[in-house]
Amino acid sequence: MWKGFAHLLKKDIGLMVAGKFFLLALLSLTLYSCYINLVYVNLDQGTYRVYLYDPQKMYTGQSAFITTVNSRQELENVCSDSASVGIDVSGDAPEIYLLSSATATADHYRGLWGRAVLTGLEEEEETEIVGAYDKEQKSRREITAEFLFFELSAVGFLGLASIVFKEKQMGVIRVHGVLPVHKAAFILSKLSVFLVSDLIFAVLLTWLNVGIADSFMILPAILVQAGILSLVMALTGFLCAVWLPDFKQFSLFYLILAVFVTTPVFLAGQTGVAWDWIVFHPMYHLFAAVKSAYFGVRTSSVLYYFVCIGSIALLFYAAYRILAREMAKEG
Amino acid sequence: MIEVSGLTFSYGREKQALHGLNFTVGDGEIFGFLGPNGSGKSTTQKILTGILKGHGGFISLFGQEIASVHTQDFFQKIGVLFEFPYLYTNLSAIDNLKYFASFYPSGQVRDALELLEQLEFKKDFLRKPVSSYSKGMRQRVSMARALINNPKLLFLDEPTSGLDPSGAVLFRRIIEEERRKGTTVFLTTHNMADADLLCDRVAFISNGAIAALDTPGRLKEKNSSHQVVVAYLHDGKRVERTIEAAELEGGLGFAHEGIISIHSQEPTLEDMFIQYTGRGLS
Repeated sequence: MWKGFAHLLKKDIGLMVAGKFFLLALLSLTLYSCYINLVYVNLDQGTYRVYLYDPQKMYTGQSAFITTVNSRQELENVCSDSASVGIDVSGDAPEIYLLSSATATADHYRGLWGRAVLTGLEEEEETEIVGAYDKEQKSRREITAEFLFFELSAVGFLGLASIVFKEKQMGVIRVHGVLPVHKAAFILSKLSVFLVSDLIFAVLLTWLNVGIADSFMILPAILVQAGILSLVMALTGFLCAVWLPDFKQFSLFYLILAVFVTTPVFLAGQTGVAWDWIVFHPMYHLFAAVKSAYFGVRTSSVLYYFVCIGSIALLFYAAYRILAREMAKEG
Repeated sequence: MIEVSGLTFSYGREKQALHGLNFTVGDGEIFGFLGPNGSGKSTTQKILTGILKGHGGFISLFGQEIASVHTQDFFQKIGVLFEFPYLYTNLSAIDNLKYFASFYPSGQVRDALELLEQLEFKKDFLRKPVSSYSKGMRQRVSMARALINNPKLLFLDEPTSGLDPSGAVLFRRIIEEERRKGTTVFLTTHNMADADLLCDRVAFISNGAIAALDTPGRLKEKNSSHQVVVAYLHDGKRVERTIEAAELEGGLGFAHEGIISIHSQEPTLEDMFIQYTGRGLS
């Protein structure tokens, strides 16, 4: 029954090579890693600078985080960026002066940090440290999780769909309907190739950007989540490519997927945008699960895995049905 | 080889494509299934090859009821040529054939090079990608693909479409050779020349029903006017006269200096199709 599976695998790998899929994946891996290692880890690494205008010299024994200025004018000048906090204690009560970063949450935390430094709640003594990662490691895990999610959800989807689309245009899908090989093997071979390719990509991306030693404990959880996301997106790509009649419609669908499906997840996950309805967005849970995996937080919900397995089974069944329909088409 | 009784099929509730077809195809027979586009011939072929499910009526293939026949073993015994040459355009003829052949037991597979040579495929193109081939060359590779597993039952859908006249003659010769080897051929076409020259029997299908089924010769004979047109010379001039065929038995009963030609007035298969179905084939 599955005798031809190896030949299908070989053919699909050949199509992926011909379609420069591996080259693109390598290029993505290089770009992501360069960005993370050369740019992202250097962003936003320092603590907010705190400037104090204290003409009466009321605050003695200041924190090492505080820089004193001599006038209100100077305070306003040094706080003209969106990463500094100014404190003016010339009046009855301390006044926080800061240039908004346009994100209410960030401004709020900057203000809190300024007050904390002024009142002597220094990080080393008072702050509860959550998690075992330093700031750089946190940044690395965060951005690596996001790039992996993007790669698997958008690029992976497109990769499999483009191969199926090619086969559909050549008409060879119909030939497979009369070959001595099970129809399901036609889908499974593609899924296997993309799954393995995505898992290798996930391992390399994690090793290069989180570090081999640091990723040792989290890698199994990352591979589980990457596997789920890879299968969901590959099956969705397969369905769309077989179901949609031409590449124009497919491009439009891809745009819709990118704009309306993936973008809200990124906005809700990465910015101060707060949407209550995002919990009903299936991709949000996949995104959260990938991110949790990178921070070593277990996705303990049995329901999550149940829904994932159910969705994969349903998508596979739909793909099988639509493949059978495509094989019976004419011309 | 094939036994079909009361075959029905519907695309949805409204669109009945087949209305109770009955026919049999014997071992080693070339059976022509003739009909215009949308008549139900491709639907019938798809049901027989197991691509379409959900038909009504009884079908037996290789002596087995169809419900149990569409196993991997069945697909090893059949060859299917589609109307269009479906091939991997990024691969060469040889690589395409090697790929498709890999699904069959190695002892059953024919030599791809030999097959292509038999199909008079240009050697220069053997290793070039299919995307650089003409339609005729693609059709040759497709035919090779259909024959690569030495099928016992061959389904051919418009085999000579896209071929020049010499290519069509070659394909007919190859189909004849297959028959001589004992292969049963189910030929779906609206090319009357192919059907007339190749088929042992033909079925005319129109609007999902078989309008007539017999040998091409008998179909034409049954509807022949039994007349011949004789062109001859008389007093140095060319004259044509239509006479009953039986009159020829006693020789030409009129004065003539020489016979130029004698044409029978037998109808063509296409005339017969129009007569039985009330519609043309295009």
